[in-house]
Amino acid sequence: MTNRLGDVYRRRYEKILVPIASNLEKFLEEYLHGRPRIDRISVRAKTPTSFLKKAMKEEHGKREYDDPLGEIQDQIGARVIVFYTSDVRPTSQRLRRYFRHIEMSNKEPKSEKEFGYFGKHFILALPDDVIPKRIKLTEAPKVFELQVRTLFQHAWSEAEHDLGYKPRRKLTKMEKRKFAFTAAQSWGADRIFQDLHDVLKKRGK
Amino acid sequence: MPISRIHSYLVHPSKNEKKPPVIGGIQIPHSGKLFGMLAKIDNSALSECDIDIVFRPKANGKQENDCRDLMLAYLAKPSLPLGRAIALRLQGVTTKRSGLGLLFLIAGQDQHGLRLLISRFPAETGVMAEEHGQTINVEFVEKVFMKSARSYKSALFRCTSIQAGFWDGLVVDRQMIDTRGSADYWTREFLDSNLKNTAAAGTKRVAVALQEALRATTDPVVRQELINASQLMPGRHGQITSAKKIVQDLSLTPSAAEAVESAFVRPELYDSTFKFDRKEFDACLLFRSVELDNGVVLTAENTSFGDVIHEERPSQGSKTRFTTEGNIVSERLRKSR
Repeated sequence: MTNRLGDVYRRRYEKILVPIASNLEKFLEEYLHGRPRIDRISVRAKTPTSFLKKAMKEEHGKREYDDPLGEIQDQIGARVIVFYTSDVRPTSQRLRRYFRHIEMSNKEPKSEKEFGYFGKHFILALPDDVIPKRIKLTEAPKVFELQVRTLFQHAWSEAEHDLGYKPRRKLTKMEKRKFAFTAAQSWGADRIFQDLHDVLKKRGK
Repeated sequence: MPISRIHSYLVHPSKNEKKPPVIGGIQIPHSGKLFGMLAKIDNSALSECDIDIVFRPKANGKQENDCRDLMLAYLAKPSLPLGRAIALRLQGVTTKRSGLGLLFLIAGQDQHGLRLLISRFPAETGVMAEEHGQTINVEFVEKVFMKSARSYKSALFRCTSIQAGFWDGLVVDRQMIDTRGSADYWTREFLDSNLKNTAAAGTKRVAVALQEALRATTDPVVRQELINASQLMPGRHGQITSAKKIVQDLSLTPSAAEAVESAFVRPELYDSTFKFDRKEFDACLLFRSVELDNGVVLTAENTSFGDVIHEERPSQGSKTRFTTEGNIVSERLRKSR
């Protein structure tokens, strides 16, 4: 099953997802044009390796996805990185003017005593405009994932993903604490930059 | 495409009623004239349902929708009780104005996977005439259900599997384009969905296509027609429409219509439904500029260009004279146009 699914997805990745991702990036740039303090906008098609890994995921001895091609919603993933925490809301609002969402969530640690990943996530309907003419609408994914994060949320999440998300062994308590510490530092940096931005902006008036 | 089950329910208007009537339903056998008619409707659903919708998530942003859940439950195991739950939902939003309706649920499969077609036929009144030799019997009949061209509604949902489900679908709502109220009843209230195009996205798409058509055309008559159209379009604020409908309503010539149609990145988008948003349109096409071969550039707001800049074409020659008057409020030197 893995081989067949892998082949199907590889073809889908090259012929359908990569061209759509490229168009979507330009589309998002156009829609967010004029919004201040956007560091970058990027869109990627989920790589075949990453897709297969997710598709084969098991929970309690059972595959999480019966129909991975239909169920996995981040085959196309977009990120909008903004400078400060106060930029997340207006940027999200601008995006909601142009895209229909089927999910919107603020990702944050469950307990207020914890530090970890923070970010605003959406599952949005993929507009037909970004699907090249040669691709049938029925072949394209119906939705894509979009994350809006600050620079520090993004920096922390990228490093954490690289080091901690797929470890070869279980993390020790100390390692977990170190991850939490860096998350707290990022959260703190976001707060301080936001405060500085607010104060300096007021003084500038 | 193979139809697995058809159920039908009589849906009375019961919005805000404390004791809604019991809903009668039946499974339609896979033979006979009625089946033939429904199979035909099912076959043409894809071309008939041409308005893209998306289910709404819960108010807390969760990826959940009660109407979608009912439909997926029915599609997973089409049965009279599971279909009745959908009919009950429709009954709860049906007002006396919408009236009595006959609901059909058609579950089946096509080359892409599973599909569910939901159709509502409104009740009509009519006269039945039967021949008896040289005389006829005429009789007034109520509760005649017709696929009325005026108020027939349908919704089509397709998915690769029940697990993947569907978040989008296609609807046809004959009343929708003309009266916005109907959109609320069928799309928003019953299906708990929105148009797939947001007002801003749909309007911006049309404005960009118009801009592109203007840039691409070399025909001065078509250009003038498109400029005139752009000045009239803001008057459609709040209307549910499509580029095709706007072009038809403004009676653009075939050349101008073709210029607009070919400016869309995909042909389907020309007839894609959205709610016109004047603010978005103005933001895209706020100014109109005319550049002359003597280096002069005239710019004014698109909607008032003709009011503030007077245009004259002397009978001799190809030149145009523009005149305007006003108080100078600023004067600038710029690097570029």
